[in-house]
Amino acid sequence: MNTLATSAPRVARTASFALRAAQRVSRALLLDRSFRFWVDELAPVASRAELRACVLSVADVTHDVKTFVLAPRVWPGHLPGQWVPVEIEVDGIRLRRCYSISSPPNDPHVELTVKRVPGGRVSNWMHTHLHAGDFVRLGAPSGDFVLPEATPAKLLLLSGGSGATPLIAILRDLAHRRALKDVTYLHAARSRRDVLFARELARLSSLHPGLRVVLHLDDESPRLDSTQLWVLVPDLAHRETFLCGPTGMMDAVAPAFLGFEGRLHHERFVVAKPAAAAPGAGALIHLGRSKRSITTTGRGTLLDELEQAGERLEYGCRMGICNTCRCAKRSGVVENVLTGAISNEPDDVIRLCVSVARSDLTLAL
Amino acid sequence: MNRVLTPHEIDAFGRELDALRQEVLDQRGQRDVDHIRSVVRTMRYAEAAGRLLLHVGIDPATFALGSGALGLAKILENMEIGHNVMHGQYDWTHDPELDGETYDWDMACAAHQWREYHNFEHHTFTNILGRDRDVGYGFLRVTSEQPWNPAHIIQPFVAVGLAFLFQWGIGAHALRLDETIAGRQSVAVLWTRARPFLAKGSRQLFKDYVFFPALALANAPRVALGNFIANGTRNVWAFAIIFCGHFPEGVRMYHEQEIQDEPRGAWYLRQIHGSANIKGGRLFHVLSGHLSHQIEHHLFPDLPACRYPEIAPRVRAICERYGQSYNTGSFRAQLTSVARQILENALPSRARPARMQ
Ligand SMILES: Cc1cc2nc3c(=O)[nH]c(=O)nc-3n(C[C@H](O)[C@H](O)[C@H](O)COP(=O)(O)OP(=O)(O)OC[C@H]3O[C@@H](n4cnc5c(N)ncnc54)[C@H](O)[C@@H]3O)c2cc1C
Ligand code: FES
Repeated sequence: MNTLATSAPRVARTASFALRAAQRVSRALLLDRSFRFWVDELAPVASRAELRACVLSVADVTHDVKTFVLAPRVWPGHLPGQWVPVEIEVDGIRLRRCYSISSPPNDPHVELTVKRVPGGRVSNWMHTHLHAGDFVRLGAPSGDFVLPEATPAKLLLLSGGSGATPLIAILRDLAHRRALKDVTYLHAARSRRDVLFARELARLSSLHPGLRVVLHLDDESPRLDSTQLWVLVPDLAHRETFLCGPTGMMDAVAPAFLGFEGRLHHERFVVAKPAAAAPGAGALIHLGRSKRSITTTGRGTLLDELEQAGERLEYGCRMGICNTCRCAKRSGVVENVLTGAISNEPDDVIRLCVSVARSDLTLAL
Repeated sequence: MNRVLTPHEIDAFGRELDALRQEVLDQRGQRDVDHIRSVVRTMRYAEAAGRLLLHVGIDPATFALGSGALGLAKILENMEIGHNVMHGQYDWTHDPELDGETYDWDMACAAHQWREYHNFEHHTFTNILGRDRDVGYGFLRVTSEQPWNPAHIIQPFVAVGLAFLFQWGIGAHALRLDETIAGRQSVAVLWTRARPFLAKGSRQLFKDYVFFPALALANAPRVALGNFIANGTRNVWAFAIIFCGHFPEGVRMYHEQEIQDEPRGAWYLRQIHGSANIKGGRLFHVLSGHLSHQIEHHLFPDLPACRYPEIAPRVRAICERYGQSYNTGSFRAQLTSVARQILENALPSRARPARMQ
């Protein structure tokens, strides 16, 4: 017994050492590509080069929302409220988008709930082409739209449309931990048929007396704004609020939190793009490495403008989070549209997806 | 033969080719990815079949088939996959397996050295004497405009030797050994250039002549010989295709002073006059890595190569409209022409003016 207990880790160590050595040799002899090819050919989800997940099921939630249940090969674990980058291939090009995980951490599978955005490339592709048995590529889960370590005594989970996804994960986790003490779940939807997770909300509120579910339907009552919010949640000031929804809704309710902004936590799916014709509209962008010059219209972020000019650039989230689009700015002035910060130092590293030109620029591209 | 164009015409010529390039860029998509992946798949299956036949067979028939399949795999990998992927033709897909910066091919030349001297030097300074070191690779005299020296007398034999050892020639080309011999490059710099090549080359030798034979146990000699034949086949094939791309008669060489402030249209003209195509079917084009469309490749090195046959008739039509030659011919005709160039230029030329001016 004793020897077995001590030798097990030694066996594991030797095995992992042997595996690493084999990997080194296969790389040196250029056999690694061949190995990855055969994994892709025979068992794609087993890939060790990237994290892949098999689609277990696809279900219609509403007329324009589907839920995808995924079984990743391994899962690093996530906190309720976090998102995961999903990568798919549309017309030969890999595209990456972030999706909030709607399943709680105790769930063995990963659940994503995706709304079809009109004209959207990834959401439409997932709705039409992604079926059970296919696989998708995943990045590492991340995000700080999560409950604090000590669960607040009074909570408001406030969601609009597909913004319900991170909040349902938080709610499911609280229910699982039997921590639904005093939670208001307020969901705004266009109409009754647009309400996400309706049946589950009904079930949870009948099981947990500490949960109050409030639905706000745009076609039955005036649009949700800060006044409405105070009516629906009179003890708003005493609650820790987690808010996620469409930009318009988030902007409309924001004034309600005047004076206690610190209690408001929010997550945005879309970042408002800079207003048309930012100061200094139209700039000359010089790409140092490819020796190209591009005149911008001044209407989009640098990432949009450069893509329109035919450049193919690395990007991930397109909202200043993932740092994939980082690029050294050799000279010139850019404005960060998220923070309004101005960068005018040479060699500043900027994120193209949230930067607009405020002068002619030279970029290390 | 080539009409002299006015600066205005040169600009218009350049704009037409720019428009053609943009048209292909706008259409890039699934079709290109499907093409390259199907070539990768064919290559991997050929490789597996070749190795299997060599490793487990004992008769001459499986030996011939196995070496042939492995040779085919190496040709596809180097030419249609490696060369084109390393040009960045598929970078836009964001697929790490098709990423030009990280790809390394199954041959003796270190990928990053090739990217530097080929993608930058050869494709920027194409056929400029003294700048493009691919002109005769520094030791062959492929045009009468190169100065003759007595060593050129044996160049027909040198060329045949190079054909069989072509992968080593491509790898060693990064060393600039000739510059060290001429005293223009220090031995220390030579050594820093030699190290990646020696490392890559010895790993390749180890793989083909130690690692795989050892896996075959008693069949080791057979496997080593099969690998040798596969490498040799690939070498000779690549040599033939690449020599037909730049060294047949009629291909123009340039002098550095000619290209001062060269506008984009003139750059295009130089790529066209400095390259030659080979006629053939679809299979031939794929096996040549589409270097049978050397002209289109030089005009647009970063467009997916499978598009070259599609745009070639239009490039040719543009050339005709502007009275510019477009050098193409059958494989046999171009090879014969290259052989004649190598033989003729082995001897000093009577001071005749440069040909195609
Ligand atoms: C942290 C985070 C979590 C997210 N979680 C989810 C989620 O759980 N479920 C979900 O469905 N989506 C979620 N999203 C949004 C998602 O990442 C994509 O942006 C969305 O699916 C659209 O991608 P697309 O490729 O279809 O559209 P694109 O081709 O990128 O965009 C097409 C057009 O639609 C606009 N647009 C983009 N996103 C939206 C949107 N959400 N609503 C309205 N218009 C939009 C764009 O500005 C553009 O004009 C999340 C985004 C982030 C940043
Ligand atoms: S794309 Fe993610 S930070 Fe810009």
